[in-house]
Amino acid sequence: MTKRIALAQLTSCWGCDQSLVDLHLGLLTVLPEIEIVFWPAVVDFKLKDLESMPDQSIHIGLVEGSCRTEEDVHLLNVMREKSKTLVAWGVCSCYGGIQGLANQWNLEELVDRKFMKADTVTDPRVPSENVPVFTETVQPNVDIVEFDVLLPGCPPTSKNLLDALTALISGKPFDLPEKSVCDQCSKVKQDKHIKEFHRTHEGHIDPSKCLLDQGYLCLGFATIGLCGAICPNVNTPCKGCFGPVIRVRDHGAKIISALGAVAEMEPDKLRESFPDPIGSFYFTDYAASYLSRIRTETRRKKKK
Amino acid sequence: MFKELYKSRLRCQGVTNGLTAAGQKSASTQKPKTKVEDRFEPRILAFCCNWCSYAGADLAGTSRMQMPPNMRIIRVNCTGRIDPVFVLEALNQGADGVLISGCHPGDCHYTTGNLKMKSRFALLQKMLEEAGIEPERVHLQWASAAEGDVFTQGITSMVERIKALGPNPVKKD
Amino acid sequence: MTGEKTVKISPVTRLEGHGDITIKLGKDGKVKDAQFNITSTRFFEKFLEGRFAEEAPRFAPRICGICPEPHHLASVKAVEDAWGITPPAAAVKVRRLLINAKQLSSHALHFFALAAPDFLVGPFAEPAKRNLVTIVKAMPDVGKMALQMMQFGQELAAAIGGTAIHPVTAIPGGMLNPFSEENRDKFLKQIADIRQWTADTLTLAKKVFDDYWDTITKLGVVQTYYIGTHNNGAHEIYDGSIRVMDPEGSVVADIKPKDYRKCFAEYVPEHSYATHVYYKPVGYPDGVWRAGTLARTNVVDKMATPLAQEAFEEMRNRLGHPIHATFAYHWARIVELVQAMEELEILLKDPQIVSKDIKLSVVEPKKGDGVGCVEAPRGTLIHHYWTDEQGIITKANMIVATNNNVGGIEKTLMEVAKQVFEQRAHQKLKLPKPMIG
Repeated sequence: MTKRIALAQLTSCWGCDQSLVDLHLGLLTVLPEIEIVFWPAVVDFKLKDLESMPDQSIHIGLVEGSCRTEEDVHLLNVMREKSKTLVAWGVCSCYGGIQGLANQWNLEELVDRKFMKADTVTDPRVPSENVPVFTETVQPNVDIVEFDVLLPGCPPTSKNLLDALTALISGKPFDLPEKSVCDQCSKVKQDKHIKEFHRTHEGHIDPSKCLLDQGYLCLGFATIGLCGAICPNVNTPCKGCFGPVIRVRDHGAKIISALGAVAEMEPDKLRESFPDPIGSFYFTDYAASYLSRIRTETRRKKKK
Repeated sequence: MFKELYKSRLRCQGVTNGLTAAGQKSASTQKPKTKVEDRFEPRILAFCCNWCSYAGADLAGTSRMQMPPNMRIIRVNCTGRIDPVFVLEALNQGADGVLISGCHPGDCHYTTGNLKMKSRFALLQKMLEEAGIEPERVHLQWASAAEGDVFTQGITSMVERIKALGPNPVKKD
Repeated sequence: MTGEKTVKISPVTRLEGHGDITIKLGKDGKVKDAQFNITSTRFFEKFLEGRFAEEAPRFAPRICGICPEPHHLASVKAVEDAWGITPPAAAVKVRRLLINAKQLSSHALHFFALAAPDFLVGPFAEPAKRNLVTIVKAMPDVGKMALQMMQFGQELAAAIGGTAIHPVTAIPGGMLNPFSEENRDKFLKQIADIRQWTADTLTLAKKVFDDYWDTITKLGVVQTYYIGTHNNGAHEIYDGSIRVMDPEGSVVADIKPKDYRKCFAEYVPEHSYATHVYYKPVGYPDGVWRAGTLARTNVVDKMATPLAQEAFEEMRNRLGHPIHATFAYHWARIVELVQAMEELEILLKDPQIVSKDIKLSVVEPKKGDGVGCVEAPRGTLIHHYWTDEQGIITKANMIVATNNNVGGIEKTLMEVAKQVFEQRAHQKLKLPKPMIG
C-alpha cells in the first residue's frame, strides 16, 4: 500500500525541501511507495485541500520550519490533526532554527529594524493587510504540538531523509544516534590543552588534526552525529547546526561546561574569546535554550 | 479543543530528548498558586562543595552565626561537578538567585574542579548578560571549611543583591 | 457580475518561499487590486548584529536553502570589502565554480520542477497531476535527465562548499578547503554528459516556447526597469558592475555595488512582508524593476561564452530587446543554464582550480562597512555589513533577489488578472496539446 505523505513548510529557508529533492535519482525509488497529498514547494495542492482531509488521514506528515506567524501555528495544528505520524523535519522544526536567535530581541525591535529603519527603506510602515501577525517569539514546534519523530539537521542530509522515510514508510521506528559529530570525524584527537582560541579566519587549519585541539571552536563534541562530520571533514569548524547530542538539555550550557574543562587560560581571557556566546553556542537552537525560555516568559509577564 | 489536543506530551523515538524536555519540565513543575507576599523574600539556591563550603555552612550553623533564611542548599562533591545547566534550570524554575560556593583556588579536593567552575562561570555570566538576564542573579564565591563567617557574609550580601534586583520574572505567581 | 469578489490563492505553489495571491474584483467585474502577499520573514538583518563577521557566511546561506551559495559568497565578499581584503586568485576561481554549480542546478530545478509542469502537463491539467512527479512518470528520460543535471550541480557545489545546503568553506581571505584533483577529475569526466543534457534541454525548451508562443507573447507582457550584473558588457554572476535599464532599453545607471544605495530603494507595501525594491531616482511605483534571468539578459550586451551567446542571439532575434514578456524568463533561464555549463567546463580545465594557495595567512578585522554583491539565480543579491574594530557586526542591510522582483511580479499579476478576469484571455490563447496527456 502506498503511504499518504504531506510536507508542510512553516517559516524557513526551504533547505530541507532542497535536501529531499537532492535525493535525485534516489527519489525514483521512494516515489512509487508514496502518494504526496500536500507539498506546496512541488505540488499544487492548497491549504484548503489539506484542511478538508479527514483527521489522521495522512500516514506521515513532515513539518519543516518554525512558527514566526500565527498562520504557521495554524498550519502546524492542522498538520498534527491530519497526520498519524508527525515528523519534526529539520532543526527549525525541532529546536526553532537560526531564526530563534531573533529571540534575543523583542518583536517590536525586530519589526522596527526591518520595516522602519532599514537603510534603503523609503516608505517605512508595518505591513498589516492580508498578512498574518507575527508570533512574539520563535518556539520549538515541539512546545506547540506533540510530535512522534524528531529529525534534526540544517538541513538533514539527503541520506538522513532517505533513512527516516524508508523506516517510517515500512512502519519501522526511526531512532536518533547517541553519537556526536566527533565520533564521526576522522581527524586525530589528542588530550585537550587549549591555550588560546583562534577565530576561523585566522591562520591556517591543519587538515590532519582535531580542530578544537588547534584552538578553533569546533562544536562537534556537543553536536548530534547525524551529518557525518561534514564541516570538520572540509577543515571547517562545526557550528552545531544539527542541534545537541540527544539527552543534552541545553546546547550552550553543555558547550561552556566542556570549554571550562579544556581551556587552559585565565577565565577573563576565555570570556573575552567569546563576546557573542549566544551566536557562537546556539547557532540553530537558541529558541530551545533555557535563556530564551526565561526571556520569553519574562516578556510575556511584562505584556500582561 | 486545540489546547487539549496539542498539550504537548513529547514522545520521540523512544527516548525523551533532553533539549525539548526542558520546556516540558518547566510546565509540569508548576507550583500551586501562592499568595504574593507584600515584602519580597528571595528564594536562593546554593550549590556548596562537600569539602569546603558545605562544611563552612555547617560551621556557621553550629557557631550560631546570623544569616538570612532565604537559602536552600544542595551539596555537591565539587563545584567542578556543577553543570551550567543546573544553574539555568534553577533560574527557569523560578529561583531568584543561584549561589555557587567552593574551595579557594589551590584548595580543591580534586585539584582543579573549582577552577573549571570559575571558567564556566565566566562564560555563563557573559551568556546571561547577552540574553538580557541580570548576571548578578548568579554568584560564585570561595569559602573554606573554617570560614563560616565568609559563608555567612556571602549569603547576606547575595540576599541584599537579589532584593535590590527584585524577583525572578519567571517565578510562577 | 453581481457583487465585489476576492480571489485568494493560498499558498502559491511551486514557489520557494511563502506567498499568497489576493485579487479583488469590483461589482463591474473589473480588477481593483492584485496583491502578492509574502506572508513571513525572519529578521536576519537584526539577529546578525553582534556576531563575528567572519561567521556571517555561515549564517547567510540560511536565508535561502534553494540558493545558499550566492548568499554564502555575497556575505563573504561583504566582509572582505569591509576589512579591505583581496582573496587569492585561485580562491576566486573556486568561488566562481561554486556559484556556477549552483546556477546550473537551480536553473535545472526551476525549469523542470517549478515551471515545466505547466507546459508539459498543461496549464489546465488537474492540480494533482501538474508536477515533477508526473513528468518523471510520463517522460522518464526527461525526468531522469533533469534529476541528473540537478545532481551534478549539487554534488559539485558540495565538493567545494562541504555541503550544497548550506556551504561552509568561504571565509574572509579565501577558502578553507582547496578543490582536490580527485574531485576535479571526477566532475570533468561528467562534463560531456552535462554538455549533451544542456543541449537537449535547450531543444526541449525551444519546442515548448514554440508551442506556447501565443502565451509567451501575449500573457503578462509588462514593461518595467531591469537590473543585472555585467563585466565589460558581458553577462556575469560573481563579480561585476550593476546596470539598470529603463523600459525602453536604455542603460540609465551603471554603478559599482558599493554605491547601491544611489539606485536601490525599498518600498514597504501594506500587504506584504517582502519590500518592493525599485529604482530610486524614478520613485515608486514607476521605478519598479525586475531582476533575475530575463533582467540579466536584457541589461547585458552579450553572454560570456560561445554557446550561450548563440542561444542568447536566437532569443533576442525572436523576441527583440528589451524583452518584457514575463514567460521569457524561462527562455533566459535556459540561456544562462548553457553559460553555467560552459563556465564550469572552463573553470574545471583551469590548472589553478586545484591550487593550494587559496587562503591568506593574515586577515585582520577592522572597523568599516562593506558591500558584497552577486547574482543569485533569481536576481541581484546584496549584503551590506558594518563591523567594529574587533570585526563584530554592528549593523546589516540586505537586498535579496526576491525583493528585487516582487514589485515586478505584482505588476505582472495585475496585468494578468486584468487579462484573465476582464478579457478572458486564457480562453482565447492558442494552446498546444500537452505533451503529457
